[in-house]
Amino acid sequence: MKKSLKEKLAESRQAYAATGCYAGLTELRLLRSDPIKAELFHSRLLAALIAGREMTKMISGSPYVREVAELAIGLYTPEGDNIAQSTGIQAHSRPMGEAIQWMIESDWEEKVGIEPGDLFWFNECSIAGMHPADVYDILPIFWEGELVAWVCTVIMEMDIGAVSPGCMPAPNVERATDGVRFAGEKVGVRDTLRHDIVMKCEMSFDMADMFLLDRKGAIAANLHVRREVEKLIGEFGLEWFRGATQELIEEERRNQLARLRQRTIPGRYRSVASFEYYMAQQPTSWLPAKRDVIRLAPMETRIEPWGRVVLDFEGAGEWGWHSFNATPSGMWGCLSIGVVQTLSYDGRANLGSLLPFELELPRGSVFNPEDTRPLAQANIWATTIETFSSWTTTLSQAYFMRGFREEMLGFRSAYSIAMMGYDQYGQRRPLLAACTGTIGSAASAVRDGLDPGAMLPTPEVDRGNAEIWETFVPHFDLSHRLDPYSAGAGKYRSGLCMPIMNLIHGGREIVGSALVSGGAYGILPNLGLSGGYPGGKLIRAVLHDTNVDQLIAERRPLVHELGHPADPDYARLIDAHISHPHHIPEPFELANGDITIDAHGAPGGFGDPLERDLEAIRRDLENGLTTPEIAARMYGAEARYDERSQNWWIDEEASAQRRKEKRAERLARAVPARAFWAARRRQLETREIHPLISEMYASSMRLSERFAQEFRAFWALPAQWRPEVP
Amino acid sequence: MTLSLEDLADLIDGRLPWPQVKAIVSAPKDDDRFQRLLGILQGRVKWPERILLPLGDHLYIVEKGDQRVVKCDCGQEFGDWRSNWKLQALVLVRDDEASLQEIWPGRSAPDAKLCEVREYLCPGCATLLKVEATPFGYPIIFDALPDLDVFYREWLGAPLAHEIASEDQSLATIRQWSAELKGSIT
Repeated sequence: MKKSLKEKLAESRQAYAATGCYAGLTELRLLRSDPIKAELFHSRLLAALIAGREMTKMISGSPYVREVAELAIGLYTPEGDNIAQSTGIQAHSRPMGEAIQWMIESDWEEKVGIEPGDLFWFNECSIAGMHPADVYDILPIFWEGELVAWVCTVIMEMDIGAVSPGCMPAPNVERATDGVRFAGEKVGVRDTLRHDIVMKCEMSFDMADMFLLDRKGAIAANLHVRREVEKLIGEFGLEWFRGATQELIEEERRNQLARLRQRTIPGRYRSVASFEYYMAQQPTSWLPAKRDVIRLAPMETRIEPWGRVVLDFEGAGEWGWHSFNATPSGMWGCLSIGVVQTLSYDGRANLGSLLPFELELPRGSVFNPEDTRPLAQANIWATTIETFSSWTTTLSQAYFMRGFREEMLGFRSAYSIAMMGYDQYGQRRPLLAACTGTIGSAASAVRDGLDPGAMLPTPEVDRGNAEIWETFVPHFDLSHRLDPYSAGAGKYRSGLCMPIMNLIHGGREIVGSALVSGGAYGILPNLGLSGGYPGGKLIRAVLHDTNVDQLIAERRPLVHELGHPADPDYARLIDAHISHPHHIPEPFELANGDITIDAHGAPGGFGDPLERDLEAIRRDLENGLTTPEIAARMYGAEARYDERSQNWWIDEEASAQRRKEKRAERLARAVPARAFWAARRRQLETREIHPLISEMYASSMRLSERFAQEFRAFWALPAQWRPEVP
Repeated sequence: MTLSLEDLADLIDGRLPWPQVKAIVSAPKDDDRFQRLLGILQGRVKWPERILLPLGDHLYIVEKGDQRVVKCDCGQEFGDWRSNWKLQALVLVRDDEASLQEIWPGRSAPDAKLCEVREYLCPGCATLLKVEATPFGYPIIFDALPDLDVFYREWLGAPLAHEIASEDQSLATIRQWSAELKGSIT
């Protein structure tokens, strides 16, 4: 009798539990017996997926797909385990499988029916996925009446029917407010969307045209992959296909373990992240949501003797009524992109890349709320990117110790202004331009970081063409310049960021909010290595009632770069009423002529800045990537511009003297760690702590007695010590 | 891809041009990288102790008799490797507006009420060894406690002479400080 998908899934899991090998495969019989055939097989699978993705980009109309390419396609076993993944946003390889597995375990086969040509949608991220804007198009693949694989495409939507403002609304805290959700609904048969579903979309979304065009792109991609899989089965045979796809997962599990043992050092690594959720002033009617909180995320990574890696978040603070909570599925998603960007970047990444990892996510914490169903989840990236940016710094430390200094790579989150209103064509739309591609990468131990283009969610980062965005969003893009002040200083500096500067133009009745893909604001992320500093805080400015029309008429400069953060260009060049909203701003009105600015801080530098090569500083000056003020203040370099030769010149002798003075000044100002410990301990004991910080520690201690004990032990505080809760 | 010792030295000194670094990143990893790197590093330090592991740009875990200690390349020692070396460092704390503005001017500075930045310095050579940005009052972070014996015995197949369990000993220092503090109060 034919086994059900549910039985197959249970058997596969039991086999893994019993052997530690995927599907119980203790041997890679097919892949080893004919490696050339195996390589050909894999490259054809991968080519089918990548070609499918490119096809979607040609069909879709959304700049999120065509410009930024926030999409990916994965192939899955009948049990929902990822076999191969296209290029693109790598977060979804495991969550898409979890969505399929949820359908299998929820008796879809029996109660909904899974037939050839059936189309399913999924963005119910309380079960699997990142946030509602990421929609999965799922298609089963059959061979002679048997389901032999699934193909799944994810596309990020510009509009998912969320309550305004935007498609990733920050002020909305309940699930019904952050968009339409699909939980494996059968939306089509015989490769065609149902008419009633199409009508529902047209009713539900302001940008139904974009949503449905994206579906056409996804369906075309899925059909292409299905066709290629059918060809492969025809050529290689079903048994070979079935066996080889499972072996690809087990092979990658083994390869990942080998990579970890080859490139890292076993042991315990620690770091910390924190997230600031400022919700007290947000216009929500759900009173429990109206509070400002900071949540702590201590992170312990243990690389075990046989190579398994445990990420332990004991001490993480509690979940809350906001749209920034993570979920286990989202954490796995973000881990998978971290892993693809740093370890498994050879095109073979699949579920096997993740099998050597374990996530310990305390129940009730911001990483694992007890019940995610009532919560809005539009901004899960805020928490996950912050967390895994910190984790990649930890992995860089391991790479450094093992000697692979060129492999060190780090990230930081990005923010931009999201809007809702009437666009330049008079249509009511969420108006969200991507902020991808604006952030530099962290430095490695052998070179400066990448000037912008580093983004944790995708290795293929692209900000897109400004001119295309300007046709979708009523603004003009004022800057694509590198900001010297964004760098994390160090012997090797981080890459630089591009500030996002937009002049509102052509729309009306626009409300601004934020695209929040990070949780850090007032507390800098801990991203520096070996004496390198993290870049600074996000600088967000909104210029209202500007004199832009007059400046344009008089042909005088507008604002195109940040300038010195203490004397920014926007305040000097433009007459305006200036506000500085924080990273999760309360919604505000925007009018034509207003200017929005987001100037980001980069991740971390590497090494003592006073050891930066003077020639590297001179080169940065020549290229406009640093300023003489930064050179002197951060690097102790005496630079001057020679008008005659039109070159920058650095006085080596004066720089050596200045560096010597700076070292002496450091020693004069520093105290033994013991003195710092005693002073801080006294402040904690007498509770001289900001109420938000006090509540942050209290939240972690409510969930974790182990964290509370470790905290008290480090500061030698009495056993009954608890932070005050305001 | 096995690098020549000259190329490896140039790589870690940041002297290799990017196309060459890119080729190294893309190529399969060299299994003997660690041992060859250690050879280069050992040849550069002025002290005789055997380097067991590089911890940072200037910091190493070294074998000293039957002990393992953290040592700066200037010769300054930071005590047993199982105790957080930062506890033996000098620290320049930035927890007010003025000191934070020195690094991050204007609105790029973190919030002094919520955030503190600790710069750990070598008492011997004043080198900045680590910058730590945390919420106010977060314990000093023990970034990496490598399991040296598992690494040498099981991963490199070259066990160390005196095996020592890799257990965090930092609290011994804290207890000592606490006792001294109580002594000074009484």
